[in-house]
Amino acid sequence: MEAIAVEGLRKQFDPPKGPVAVDNVSFSIGEGEIFSLLGPNGAGKTTTISILSCLLKPDAGDARVGGFSVSKDPDRVKALIGVVPQDIALYEDLSGRENLLFWGRMYGMRGSALEKRVDEVMELIGLSDRQKDRVDKYSGGMKRRVNIGAALLHKPNFLYLDEPTVGIDPQSRRSILDGVRDLNSAGVTVLYTTHYMEEAQELSDRIGIMDKGVMIAVGTQEELVQLVGERTRIDVAVDREAETLAKRWRELPEVATVSEPEDARMWLSVQDANTLIPSLFDGARAVGARITEISLAEPNLEMVFLHLTGRALRD
Amino acid sequence: MRALSIAVKDTRHVYRNVAGLAMMLLAPLLLTFALSAAFGSGNNFSVGAVRTVVANQDVSAGAGAGTPAAGATLVSTLTSPGMTGLLKVTQVDSAAAARSAVDNGDADVAVIIPAGLTNALTSAAPAGAGAPAGGGAGQIQIYRDPALTVAPAIVLAVVQSVVGSLNGARAAAGTSAQLAASLGVTDSAELSALATQTAQAFAGLAQTSGPVTLEQRAPAVPGAGQPKSPNVASQVLLGMMLFFMLFGAATPARSILDEHRQGTLSRLFTTPTPRSTILVGKYVAVFLVVLIQAVVLLVAGRFLMGAHWGSLGPVIILTLVSALVAASLGLLTVSYAKTPAQAGAGSAAIFVFLGLISGNFVGSANIGGTFAIVRRISPIGWLMEGWDNLLFGGSWSSIALPVGAALAFALAFFGIATFFFRRRYT
Repeated sequence: MEAIAVEGLRKQFDPPKGPVAVDNVSFSIGEGEIFSLLGPNGAGKTTTISILSCLLKPDAGDARVGGFSVSKDPDRVKALIGVVPQDIALYEDLSGRENLLFWGRMYGMRGSALEKRVDEVMELIGLSDRQKDRVDKYSGGMKRRVNIGAALLHKPNFLYLDEPTVGIDPQSRRSILDGVRDLNSAGVTVLYTTHYMEEAQELSDRIGIMDKGVMIAVGTQEELVQLVGERTRIDVAVDREAETLAKRWRELPEVATVSEPEDARMWLSVQDANTLIPSLFDGARAVGARITEISLAEPNLEMVFLHLTGRALRD
Repeated sequence: MRALSIAVKDTRHVYRNVAGLAMMLLAPLLLTFALSAAFGSGNNFSVGAVRTVVANQDVSAGAGAGTPAAGATLVSTLTSPGMTGLLKVTQVDSAAAARSAVDNGDADVAVIIPAGLTNALTSAAPAGAGAPAGGGAGQIQIYRDPALTVAPAIVLAVVQSVVGSLNGARAAAGTSAQLAASLGVTDSAELSALATQTAQAFAGLAQTSGPVTLEQRAPAVPGAGQPKSPNVASQVLLGMMLFFMLFGAATPARSILDEHRQGTLSRLFTTPTPRSTILVGKYVAVFLVVLIQAVVLLVAGRFLMGAHWGSLGPVIILTLVSALVAASLGLLTVSYAKTPAQAGAGSAAIFVFLGLISGNFVGSANIGGTFAIVRRISPIGWLMEGWDNLLFGGSWSSIALPVGAALAFALAFFGIATFFFRRRYT
């Protein structure tokens, strides 16, 4: 059953000459699913989530959340969703608890029910012992957790998380990813945006890859990887001349793509690794370099993005 | 309820900010204390008593028996009960001690009466007073602190008045003697006695009945029965209160822009709380902040400065309307701005301009003529007029027009601000 159905969304800022942030985007999310929107900065992920949050009105198309149209019935939609914005949107001069009480009131909660729910959420995000401290005294990771907690107070059916792990330490990141999975296990449908391929791979039931405002592929990870074909990924590290080698290897007929070298490391998408590997060593020797590491891997979403756009995900 | 939650949250935010509190409450009170100290604590704007030190060296007998020494006459005038509010006189023995008192900052002005003053007055050349030291034998010296201008001018005026009176007595004596001689009186003793009597009569007349009196009336207040004379502090505090209420309103009004920048406004818009409710909550916060500010300042004025604002009913109405006007102006000056910094700079310039044309920085009693008309182009001017009317004894009828005019301004400002905010956020 479709919990969220997006059909032909279009949004242009400052028309007629402004940029088209989202163009003819369509996808659907099943009930109880974790769906990730993956794409580089400026791909249109936040604009899409803003339209689904009823923050922006689409120029064309529509989306139905829990059966209600974001254009025609935004109040009903807002009651069903919890939105975790990309930037921390909290009142720094209020304590963590005061923040949750305030946001709970904005969802129409009051009295002892609100107090009880705040206790639960504080426990859920692991900040019960720091709930009376002002938010400006919290670490970045703690703020992120309160930022998520504020969206959970009214027990939403749908949770939108817009790049919730940007700029935080690995421990807090792990805690957030585990928390999202727990919420999903409890029945919450999750829409998650990220430009971290690993997060999308780890969390998602299905993934939508966006680039320049367009949805370029949607599917499970396996379905998306199949788009790359029967290719293999070869990870290579060299001691010198990485740029020269990347250029040289791109000219080999068996090589589909070569990523931009980073710290003398790169990866290649190839048709037949077994026959190609000797050629790679020959090439390195020819430019006076040495291959220090080489390994074979299954194709991943990074390869898919490169395959579909000709650019790396982080470009 | 949700609007109230937003209002309470914003109000707490403002009153948790120490710098904001200082601006809203401490600054107007301190400025009022400072201005009141400068202009005195009486019912009118006046300078404090000038600290004057007098060295009278003219102790010899004058023109004849029964004629007081001119120096003594001058000292007696300077220390007379009528001068106590104006001058605080201390006498010293020598000119050096008098100058030293000024040099050390113990006195503002020194009056040095030379030994030959009486003789000079009874000779042909008229005596005088002047600032330069080291004048002639009959020259009274006024020695002053160079940083002061008003205090020396006051002392100089008093001394010149007395010297003028003494010169007048001498002229009257001479004239009466000449007149008697022309009528055939030739006895020099008789002529001398006549001249002395004339001089004494002139001097006595000059001292007892000044030709000019100054009486200051309270400003005419329509509808007021018995005009009151409010103290200076209350007049100053009113101007300061209304002026700083504008800044008090601008702070929570700017929170709309702050929240937009911080992302909390967008987050509010994703909740089921309608945008109109959010805007109403913001408006209520601005109103609450300035209302609390006004009440605190009015109560502080009552108990710290002895201000009598007037009847409770009109005071409540004027306080509410003042808060409405300040809130509407605060919101208006923020509604057109794109950033908090732009709003801060723009609103400060507008508030200072309004304060200047509305008379917030001058006492109520000093507003009249064209100024009284010009200030009516500003809602703050109307509020000042309403509060002044109340201060000087007015009641409901005397505040009706100012309240009506100020409310009209407030409604117009709220309307314009709402138009801009709705265009931006809905």
